[in-house]
Amino acid sequence: MSLSLLGNPSVSPPLIRLDRVSKSFGMNVVLDGVDFDLHPGEVHALCGENGAGKSTCLGLLYGLHQPSGGRVLLNDKEERIDTPSHAQSLGVGCVFQELSLAGALSVAENIYAGRAPTHFGVVDWPELRRRAEELLAEFGLRIDVSKPVDSLPISSRQIVEIAKALSLNSRILLLDEPTSALAPDEVDALFDVLRSLTKKGIGIVYVSHHMAEIFRISDRVTVLRDGRKISTLPVSETSQEQVVAEMIGGAHPDEINRSEDATGEVVLDVNKLSHPGVFDDISFSIKAGEIVGMAGLMGARRSEIVRSLVGLMPGATGNIHMHGQPVKFTCLRQAMRHSVGFVPEERKTEGLFLEQSLSDNLIAASLSDHTRLGVMRRASIKGAATTAIDAFSVKASGVSEEVGALSGGNQQKIMLAKWLKRAPDLLIVEEPTKGVDVGAKFQIHTELLRRAADGMAILVVSSDFPELLSLSSRILVVHDGQLKGDIAAQEATEDVVLQMAAGTAAPSIAPSNTITGATS
Amino acid sequence: MTMVAHADTTPKPPLIRRILKAFVDIRELTLIVLIALIIIVMANVNPYFLSLSNFRAVAVGMAPTAIIVIGMAILLASGGFDLSVGSVMALSSTVVAMLLLTGMPIPLAVVCGLILGGVVGVVNGVLVTGLGINPLIATLGTMSIARGIALVLTEGFSVSSLPPAFAWIGKADIGGLPVMVLLTVLLVILFDLAVRHTRFFRQVYFIGANEKAAMLSGIHVTRVRIILYALTGVLAALAGVLLASRLMSGTPTAGNGIELQVLAAAVIGGASLRGGEGTILGAFLGVVFVALINNTMTMQAVSIYWQMIVIGGVLVSAVALDMLIRSKRG
Repeated sequence: MSLSLLGNPSVSPPLIRLDRVSKSFGMNVVLDGVDFDLHPGEVHALCGENGAGKSTCLGLLYGLHQPSGGRVLLNDKEERIDTPSHAQSLGVGCVFQELSLAGALSVAENIYAGRAPTHFGVVDWPELRRRAEELLAEFGLRIDVSKPVDSLPISSRQIVEIAKALSLNSRILLLDEPTSALAPDEVDALFDVLRSLTKKGIGIVYVSHHMAEIFRISDRVTVLRDGRKISTLPVSETSQEQVVAEMIGGAHPDEINRSEDATGEVVLDVNKLSHPGVFDDISFSIKAGEIVGMAGLMGARRSEIVRSLVGLMPGATGNIHMHGQPVKFTCLRQAMRHSVGFVPEERKTEGLFLEQSLSDNLIAASLSDHTRLGVMRRASIKGAATTAIDAFSVKASGVSEEVGALSGGNQQKIMLAKWLKRAPDLLIVEEPTKGVDVGAKFQIHTELLRRAADGMAILVVSSDFPELLSLSSRILVVHDGQLKGDIAAQEATEDVVLQMAAGTAAPSIAPSNTITGATS
Repeated sequence: MTMVAHADTTPKPPLIRRILKAFVDIRELTLIVLIALIIIVMANVNPYFLSLSNFRAVAVGMAPTAIIVIGMAILLASGGFDLSVGSVMALSSTVVAMLLLTGMPIPLAVVCGLILGGVVGVVNGVLVTGLGINPLIATLGTMSIARGIALVLTEGFSVSSLPPAFAWIGKADIGGLPVMVLLTVLLVILFDLAVRHTRFFRQVYFIGANEKAAMLSGIHVTRVRIILYALTGVLAALAGVLLASRLMSGTPTAGNGIELQVLAAAVIGGASLRGGEGTILGAFLGVVFVALINNTMTMQAVSIYWQMIVIGGVLVSAVALDMLIRSKRG
């Protein structure tokens, strides 16, 4: 078409070329003139903070959005990708971060969702099973494909999800955080599979927050920030530090100092907490002013343990002491009366009222603080909300903005602020920075450390091991419902924690950290 | 490429446990046993119960409900449902009757009635998918509108003096079995197999389990949903035609409240308002079960008012039991 293109010969046309692609939703510009290309046999990583435009890029390629400007070219041919099924027919497969499987249906059927082999519309079950088995065998996963997906461990489900995308014979594979639920050896196996795919000439767009993984698997890295492309470089010409610096745009948050070894009184003491068939013999304690981390992989039952502590999962045996007094919570309200706060993992389904205003969300756990004779006091609510917005620098148009309209990071801040404003003696936080950008993460960490310094005891459950290492003074490692480690932060490295969490290291419970009973 | 292989190493549980588990997992088994139980008990209590004429009456009486439950069960599996089925039944029965009075050939009039049902279904589907109206509200609206149209067309009166040949569908026998019942059983078998084994209907379970995931898997969620509502409309219209043929009149008040009976039977048969589960056979057995309970009570001269209380109790206990088992299994 154009002469400049003719004068610029390339070996083979790129599988994907985004040419100055822009996308806006209403007034909100999410992509601004982004160039991106993917060659056959290449893994091209896409990095950026949340809201940088990564998922929108994937959405454009998978037919979820259409560009507002610029061109999308597949194999040098301009395409308008209307729907996911259109994208699939063009050879684009996609694996999303959230699993998209139907749990009650069989593995085989899920892999070929809506595309099962048929004779005159009737599903050929033996053929379906055979194909599914063949595909999974490539991943070294040998399972009964006629079993429901629900019966598989999470990591296998992730493999099924990837197999599903590959079942389309895609030439282009879009992966959004594909390793978030995988154990280290499973990540290795996945990478082997990805390498064998690239050998066949398949191109992979790899979106991830894990810098180490990106640098292991990718050929090139593109960094997006605020919807603009910052750089595209071969991994050999850049570094993890440089990519992170480009992602956050020069605003380097200082290295956070972890909470000091606390010497305060024991706030929470858990002794031999067990829940038959769920977790077993969990003992630990937390002092005032201390942040204790709880690490583990998916399915380690960390969530069940902390939910037992706050009364959300009754039926556990063992002793729990708060400030030396024995307690047994059978509902969250009881725990709250004993000055315990609980920030759940899923902000959209468990933590927030998305259609309610920011101020209503903030006061949901402390209604009585803003009530006089049963009547809500608007001035007091507004004051509290304004304070929280300032303290956390929440980006919102005002206290009456719907929480659902805020970004993930700001939502997370609201959820945390809702419990912090009760000033609990013990705060249990699940995944405090799940899916939030670097800036919000920094602010959340700072606030948690500040509260700990003021004497709050904080238990942080997180799958983000670097986060735990930088926040906590001690780390509890859970594997398969058992406490495998209680280690001081100085001795903990990501590798040590990971080994314990995966159950491949000997248990290590430091004796000094298992003091029981009141020491105050 | 060595990945942790999750081999099947779980030992087989004892036979009794496995049988119990089969009953929990397969609602159809439980219903078949319950139905057999009713038949055995009633056979000993009331000799007339086992008579052919009683079974005939029960079968013919439940045929319209059984036909509608096919559509409802599929809709429930897709995470939708339809309150307008009773009104569509009435509308098609009156429109077909009126068309027949104009001298239109019977097959053509029937086809027109079915198409009308399909049109109402498409309207439901578009309201739910295109405009994103909650299915409860959307079909509550069309339920009222369709019933209203039937009443306006007939000014509230039944349409009778239909051509005698029209009675064939509703009253004739083939090999000693009523055509209406044969047709119902045929449709139930056909759709049960289709839902289990055809690609189109397998998509329904994906949509019901997780609509967004289905869309991201490349399934045309909107298209499938609209087709399902249309199918339900056509089946409801067919039930209306059968009823009109049996009564030899088009009745604008027919099928009043049938939508709730159908929903109840489908849920007793293993469907769920959450979507993603249920079979046609299960829903059909649910209809049979409810019909037999009603028949039993009628025979034992239990007042019709008490029957409502019993059916309500059965519905709630079926669902409660289901929830209990689910929570036990975690």
